[in-house]
Amino acid sequence: MPSTQKPMRYGHTEGHTDVCFDDTGSCIVTCGSDGDVRIWENLDDDDPKSITVGEKAYSCALKNGRLITAVSNNTVQIHTFPEGAPDGILTRFTMNANHVIFNSDGTKIAAGSSDFMVKVVEVTDSSKQKTFRGHDAPVLSLSFDPRDVYLASASCDGSVRVWKIADQTCTTSWPLLQKCNDVISAKSICRLGWQPGSGKLLAIPVDKVVKLYRRGTWDSQLDLSHKSITQSLNVVAWSPCGQYLAAASVDGNILVWNVETQECIERMQHEKNYTICGLAWHPKHKQIAYADTEGSLGLLENIGDGKKPNDKLAGAMTKDYNDLFDGEDDNCSNGDMIEPQSSPKAGANEDNDDLMPTLGLLRRAIIDDDNSLDIGMIKANSSLLEKEDDDDQAGGFSALPSSTQQPFYDGPMPTPKQKPFQSGSTPAHLAHRFMVWNSVGIIRCYNDEQDNAIDVEFHDTSIHHATHLPNSLNHTMADLSTEAILLACESTEELASKLHCIHFSSWDTNKEWTVDMPEDEDIEAVCLGQGWAACATSALLVRVFTVGGVQKEIFSLPGPVVSMAGHGEQLMVIYHRGTGFDGDQCLGVQLMELGKKKEQILHGDPLSLTKKSYLTWVGFSAEGTPCYVDSEGIVRMLNRGVGNTWIPVCNTREHCKGRSDHYWVVGIHENPQQLRCIPCKGARFPPTLPRPAVAILSFKLPYCQVTTEKGQMEEQYWRSVVFLNHVDYLLKNGYEIDENAKSQSVKEQQELLMKLFALSCKLEREFRCVELADLMTQNVVNLAIKYASRSRKLNLAQRLNEMAAEKVSELATAPEDEEDFRKHLNAGYRSSATEWSQLPVRNVQQDQEMEDAGETGAYEEAEETPEVQEQRPNTFSKGVTSAEVTTPKSAVIVSSSQGRVNPFKVSPNRKDPVVPSANVLDTMSKYPKKTSLSSSRAVNKQNPPVIKPLIPKPKSKQALAASFFQARTPTSSEKTVEEREEKTGNESHQVKVTAQQNTENGRPKTGFQMWLEENRANILTDNPDLNEAEVIKEGMSRFRILSSEERMVWTEKAKRGSVSDLAEDKKRKRPTTDEDEVKKDQEQKSEDSNVSKKTKPLDRSTNVRLSAFAFKQS
Amino acid sequence: MEPAEVEFLAEKELVTIVPNFSLDRIHLIGGDLGPFNPGLPVEVPVWLAINLKQRQKCRLIPPEWMDVALAGSLIRQTQEKLEEIRDQERKEDTFTPMPSPYYMELTKLLLNYASDNIPKADEIRTLVKDTWDTRVAKLRLSADSFVRQQEAHAKLDNLTLMEINTTGTFLTQALDHMYKLRTNLQPAE
Repeated sequence: MPSTQKPMRYGHTEGHTDVCFDDTGSCIVTCGSDGDVRIWENLDDDDPKSITVGEKAYSCALKNGRLITAVSNNTVQIHTFPEGAPDGILTRFTMNANHVIFNSDGTKIAAGSSDFMVKVVEVTDSSKQKTFRGHDAPVLSLSFDPRDVYLASASCDGSVRVWKIADQTCTTSWPLLQKCNDVISAKSICRLGWQPGSGKLLAIPVDKVVKLYRRGTWDSQLDLSHKSITQSLNVVAWSPCGQYLAAASVDGNILVWNVETQECIERMQHEKNYTICGLAWHPKHKQIAYADTEGSLGLLENIGDGKKPNDKLAGAMTKDYNDLFDGEDDNCSNGDMIEPQSSPKAGANEDNDDLMPTLGLLRRAIIDDDNSLDIGMIKANSSLLEKEDDDDQAGGFSALPSSTQQPFYDGPMPTPKQKPFQSGSTPAHLAHRFMVWNSVGIIRCYNDEQDNAIDVEFHDTSIHHATHLPNSLNHTMADLSTEAILLACESTEELASKLHCIHFSSWDTNKEWTVDMPEDEDIEAVCLGQGWAACATSALLVRVFTVGGVQKEIFSLPGPVVSMAGHGEQLMVIYHRGTGFDGDQCLGVQLMELGKKKEQILHGDPLSLTKKSYLTWVGFSAEGTPCYVDSEGIVRMLNRGVGNTWIPVCNTREHCKGRSDHYWVVGIHENPQQLRCIPCKGARFPPTLPRPAVAILSFKLPYCQVTTEKGQMEEQYWRSVVFLNHVDYLLKNGYEIDENAKSQSVKEQQELLMKLFALSCKLEREFRCVELADLMTQNVVNLAIKYASRSRKLNLAQRLNEMAAEKVSELATAPEDEEDFRKHLNAGYRSSATEWSQLPVRNVQQDQEMEDAGETGAYEEAEETPEVQEQRPNTFSKGVTSAEVTTPKSAVIVSSSQGRVNPFKVSPNRKDPVVPSANVLDTMSKYPKKTSLSSSRAVNKQNPPVIKPLIPKPKSKQALAASFFQARTPTSSEKTVEEREEKTGNESHQVKVTAQQNTENGRPKTGFQMWLEENRANILTDNPDLNEAEVIKEGMSRFRILSSEERMVWTEKAKRGSVSDLAEDKKRKRPTTDEDEVKKDQEQKSEDSNVSKKTKPLDRSTNVRLSAFAFKQS
Repeated sequence: MEPAEVEFLAEKELVTIVPNFSLDRIHLIGGDLGPFNPGLPVEVPVWLAINLKQRQKCRLIPPEWMDVALAGSLIRQTQEKLEEIRDQERKEDTFTPMPSPYYMELTKLLLNYASDNIPKADEIRTLVKDTWDTRVAKLRLSADSFVRQQEAHAKLDNLTLMEINTTGTFLTQALDHMYKLRTNLQPAE
């Protein structure tokens, strides 16, 4: 088994950090410049015990339940271990101690201080102190002779001395190091070490070599070096058996030598090349813990396991491999260098897990421990190592965590395949873990001494109450939906792998069912959809069941499963498509529909992952769009709009504060755009207690230059587009959609386009303007044309006009087919109002309006604002308006499709003056200020493109090919308008007619209107009981019956009228006109509410004027 | 003001809850609340939080400061915790700023109704009571010295409404009485 380097994790704040193991090796103890000592159960321990020992801790040592620390108040303190209670001060210096150590039996400590002194103190009696004077500079490091005769010390004065403890004399001194003034400026902290056991050798890191001095003669026996060492060595540490020596350099290299053979058996590079300042061997296992000057803690496992003795015979190989460590056990003076794998050939998983409880998350989560190492592999490794020793050219090799490679092969390394996982679960080896956390609820699993149980909790208690289940079968996988709980366990020796479903929404009494997998088939992933459950097994099969337990489809997977997710009728399976190289995974994805029409949408396409990352979460957004997250925190989403490609929508790492912080994704919502996740400090996943809280992140597409206005708006626009894709999908599949949200998004998109348009206009980028206009809807194009002509870009306006006309003709050919399609859709769909049903409305209203002329919503908006403001209080004010009028009004509001409207609601009052703005955009930018629910009317007016149809909702059959020069009207506004029509109809229509005549002041009318005025009397005589709305309706149908020539005549009439009007208009200055209008408006309103109704025809006529403006050129 | 009134005011403070039901935004005179999504934290006033909690419609997330000490957390936070607040309060002669102007009321309300959602509820109760006692003792002491030295005015910073109410009425009335007594005394001299 190769050595593994676990990812480093945050331990302390930046600064010198020391690390040691406790006597049994059950925990790692670190101290750092934050003054805390932390006790880590293992490297994955998310909640290490902290003991505050001082303001800064320089060094710590641990033996026999005593923790000694050198802290910044110049003392050496004792704390009890593991309780951490202070147990007195052992000794004091005039400066802080730099290094403290225990002797081999733990009775004495030695401390070396910056005040040039070294002290040896008895632990039990601090009065028995011995002081060693002689260094001329701060003492850097110390080492006790295991036989307790000598003490070695290194100092900033450049000397390394050996003292005789008994008489405190200096036995020998070597000028080995560079001189310096201070510990901070020292090139190396020169942590030296005596060989444990015999104490025969003293190892001193001197620049780039480790010098070994022989005891007694004090001559340099040999040097250990390696070509890869480019910077001076900082720390050395002997393995407890005294056979290996580890050294670490200031540039983060860690090397391990076999001292006897002088062979470098291990090389490792710190992931960030930080200076390693603490190094400690596990007392039993072949692990090295190390700490760097940034306060991070790392662990190197299975040191020397990839190695073999010189015997190259493959047959004898394994035996030797085993013998290697057996022999060691005997040799070891400590005798406790336990072989972690008694039988590497057998590849016993259990052994590994039992003996190495500190196995890391990463390994467990993704790397399938290559326990079943074959002989060839071992040979490969060993020969490689030999080769490395020979020619030392494997610079890239040591950086790789695993060395499973072919002999003399220097190419890309295969990546261990990521293990199957359940989305939203924490690692299975934890005693308390989340089995699932999704948008429905949480399943927790407790597996400790007292209890082995599963807790199911629903976010929404109306789905089901919380449940507590015993976990006698040892389920490890789970999924949760609004219908059922799905659990699965792997097979044991006696029992087959089981799928267990608790279908709590079932209406009969039998809520549970269980299915046994065939022999030798283990469930590896499970998921639930609507009405079905699925599991993927080790036999590369996906089995689909109904939620009631009927076996359904079975299909084979092209590779071992990684994860599965279900939503509605969709099933997504991620599997290993092949072997990845150099840390990359090679995954494929299948997406299929399990509904009535069974089809595969993604046919095993490769899954795009960030480099050297693996998959951490797979699922669907609440709206049903497939998403996944990789270990680099990139969230990707299926972009159905661009041929089912994946688009990165968020980088959760950007939101993290620390390097080892992560966000654990629990759900994705497209409307509103929310990424729900749990922030985890210093870990990849949250602990079950304290209960983690969900945070919401926003999405951000990785567009370029998002700091600029343009980039920002582009990002917003495309994000809005991407997150609206689900609407089309839902429509296509016959789900209900939220019309309001959709129109809101469309509006937002159009606003952004308009802003971008304006920006490009300002920058004189007319071509870009046209490109942008191409993305706009029709009436926003109108706005754009208006804007262009206002800003005197006539060429641009001309082009836009052409483009608009082209679009119209394109669209004009479409409606026939659309209509058929629409009928078809309506038959099957619940969604009441789709865009199709709106098309005809548009046609009709435009039929009349287009031929005339009009103006865009800019004026309309300005003029209507006072109305909005006035009408809101109206609903409550008494006496200001006649009761007659108020009643229908409030009725309108209630019945509007807008849903609940709160009369109490405090809505931001628009204080903007009602002066019409010269800039079209000014009015646009105001819209977001209004809250959507302020009143149905306000909503109505939020949509600048919305033209109020004077005609009540016509039947679809009335659809005619006509101009499409106005955008679709959202249903809500349509309805309200209809209501308003009825309301106005309640008043005598004569009032209305006169009002119209009064206010219109000879403004252009549509052909239909002119016709209607003439024929109104006829209609009324035929059907005397019709109200205004119905009159118009009736009029519409009659008008349609007329021959096209007749209609043309009316249209011509209307045009003539409008042209003359227009001429008049042009003579006047526009702004004054507007102001006049507004003033008039206000006056009218102050008069009485009846008169305020006049604004309606006014609005229409302004519209009419606006479109004339837009089209008079063409 | 009655303590009940002060408590009523405190109920306007916002706390975070995790609802277990789904509800659209609700519009009230005091402003909009929600929308409530099951499992998603949302800020609501204390009165609503308690109401929902009593109906078991939510889980309460205690305010940041409502925690005993920093122990266990890896990264030092700027937010002070109750233990430090208490120690600080004891150390200083003047009043230290409190984490919330309604710390006493909130602690009482939340611990009474949602103690199962607040880890170390008992310790928090004790700590807050300690802090309160220290502060009220300081208040009495300063009132005492105020009266003793016959000062005309005094300024006390960082007092919370509840604390002012413990002595406010009494002190002003007492001062009134003393004034009367003194003015009555003087003619006799």
